[in-house]
Amino acid sequence: MTEPVSKMPIDAKVKPALTSLLYQLADDDFILAYRGSEWLGLAPHIEEDVAFSSISQDTMGHAAMFYQLLEDLGEGNVDSLAHARKAAERRNAVLLEVVNGPGHYLSSAQYDWAFAVVRNYFYIQAKKIRLDSLKNSLYQPLAEVALKVNMELYYHLLHWKTWFIQLMQAGGEARTRMEAAIRKVLADFEGVITLGPLAKDMAEHGLIEPEDVLKQRWLLTMKPVFESINLAVSEADLAMKNGNGRIGEHTADLDAALTTLSEVYNINPAASW
Amino acid sequence: MSEALFFQEMTEEQKYEQFMKRINAGEKIEADDWMPEDYRMTLIKLISMHGISEIMGALPEKEWVPKAPSLKRKLGIMAKVQDEMGHGQLLLRVAEDLMKPLGKTREDIMQDLFSGRLKFHNVFHMEAPTWGDAGLIGWLVDGAAIITQTNMLNASYGPYARALKRICAEEVFHAQHGEAIIMALAEGTEEQNAMVQDAVNRWWEALLMFFGPGDASTTGTSKQDTTIKYRIRTKTNEDLRQDFFTKYIPRVLSLGLKLPDETMHFDQDQELWVYRQPDWNKFKDIIKNNGPKSQERLGLRRTAYETNKWVREALNTAN
Amino acid sequence: MGNEGFYQEFEVFSQRTDTSPLQYQFSLLAPNREIALVMAQENFMRREPAADIWVVKRSDIRKLTPEEKQSLQRLDNKDYRTTKGYGYLKKKWRHYEQEMLDEKEILSWGGMKKGD
Ligand SMILES: [Fe+2]
Ligand SMILES: [Fe+2]
Repeated sequence: MTEPVSKMPIDAKVKPALTSLLYQLADDDFILAYRGSEWLGLAPHIEEDVAFSSISQDTMGHAAMFYQLLEDLGEGNVDSLAHARKAAERRNAVLLEVVNGPGHYLSSAQYDWAFAVVRNYFYIQAKKIRLDSLKNSLYQPLAEVALKVNMELYYHLLHWKTWFIQLMQAGGEARTRMEAAIRKVLADFEGVITLGPLAKDMAEHGLIEPEDVLKQRWLLTMKPVFESINLAVSEADLAMKNGNGRIGEHTADLDAALTTLSEVYNINPAASW
Repeated sequence: MSEALFFQEMTEEQKYEQFMKRINAGEKIEADDWMPEDYRMTLIKLISMHGISEIMGALPEKEWVPKAPSLKRKLGIMAKVQDEMGHGQLLLRVAEDLMKPLGKTREDIMQDLFSGRLKFHNVFHMEAPTWGDAGLIGWLVDGAAIITQTNMLNASYGPYARALKRICAEEVFHAQHGEAIIMALAEGTEEQNAMVQDAVNRWWEALLMFFGPGDASTTGTSKQDTTIKYRIRTKTNEDLRQDFFTKYIPRVLSLGLKLPDETMHFDQDQELWVYRQPDWNKFKDIIKNNGPKSQERLGLRRTAYETNKWVREALNTAN
Repeated sequence: MGNEGFYQEFEVFSQRTDTSPLQYQFSLLAPNREIALVMAQENFMRREPAADIWVVKRSDIRKLTPEEKQSLQRLDNKDYRTTKGYGYLKKKWRHYEQEMLDEKEILSWGGMKKGD
């Protein structure tokens, strides 16, 4: 993946929509993988810790592939894209940057497993639908990456769906916690679904299908799952309560995350680490 | 067969004799086999401490997982710390099977950790304040762990030997992951060089302690004779420490790093490394959970375990 | 909260490729077999391919006790059920100017096409 630029000159009219889409894809995966990496060592049991970490690694690997596509388009090198951009330049959905729960990842973490399960399951399903659409993207390098990334999503989905269904079916305290997490996730899920101000251009240039088509597909896919566990979710439940990350609106959680994740990088961004 | 004497008919001494004969012949003991109580208890102590040390060992490195300075390093250290959790999984499974006849489970192991009954390795009580420490842990702490773990690859207890085989295969990656970080720093800016040297200075004493006291006279307890008798390991603590010096001192020096012990040298006549003894009283204190980070890390482990309790309770019905 | 709760023992087996035999990996703890299954690959096969995975609840496995393992012993007098007991045929076939169809020869027939 070193020469796509020369292979396919990008039409100046397409480029803004294309880079906007790539930033969303890369930033979404990157920040969620970061949140996943904070969970390392703190999952409900050791076996799950190991499994969850693989998913976080896969997801960060996907982010790296999307950042590489941006690098190929002349947006800067992958590590500066991941580490050096300020919050206002980030295009990830706000839902994915929110902390795992109260407390610091090194001392007092009281992370919320229900939130982890719901956020990851709902997101991975949306990611799967998005990537299925990207397999037909007219931007060939992106279609190729989508094909590869897609391969690993089957496991991610199976994993999170298993936890989701089981904890929902457990009833009692688990059900209460899960329903609270579902409300929290849906309140910002519109922010995951949206493709931002250039969504129309993206569809017109054949980069990805229209936002609403993807949204309906997500609702349709989730419907039988929700029905099987007696959960009523309607389109109106999806909101963007804490801001639209696609236009650079973010929470203080992202600022804190960026400070941590770039702490060593910022000692000397030019150095080789 | 001449040993047609059925097992149930044997006296305890005969069983013990047969057991020793088996392990001395290089046979492996399995979880369901008869074993002397002393052997079982020695294994439980050794393996549960080894296992819980892997789990607690994930914590000093965990700090650097989200902070690693590039995508590649972030991925590498995530995979490395994941492996350590995985080692904990393998070893605790082995320990849990040994504890089963005593009616103990993983729950008891966790509670023993929290109450201080179950100890973890001295190195994992220490601070890791810079990225240099993250590299040094992978390079030298894992290096030391490789030396002690390969020494038990032929352990008489089959399940432990098999777990160690898996673990040591992954340790090769850990060592190279650590070397890669250290090498980049050693070849980097002055500030990066200083990071490695500081880390070496900070960890040196803990690394010497890692292998345990030379003999029981130093700290009052040492299980090394028992583990050698039962063919769980072959070399003594001091043998292992000397092996570590032989393997790693030339590499440390070749990168332009200095050892924080000016007395350190190889004595040609004795064919031994001569070095300044660490403070063994400090060692005893550290493993009693009085190290600089002992309480914070135990606190994190305990909080996580309790915060997630509802998950384990929700799914605890057999189905 | 009994011990039969969250921490149940599962044995994990896997197949490396479609043609390889099922191989024992290790054991893990999980509350049920669905969770055990989604833990299995990442815990034991992170660095090797897997074509299939089985998880089996340990309590469903009937193993031999150490005493019962004595029932595995056999005398070494069963040449008649191996090719070892029929090695003399080689010389006999030579008399008829024919090659002996040994194991190596017979097992090589699988991939043979006419004219090979
Ligand atoms: Fe380890
Ligand atoms: Fe290691």
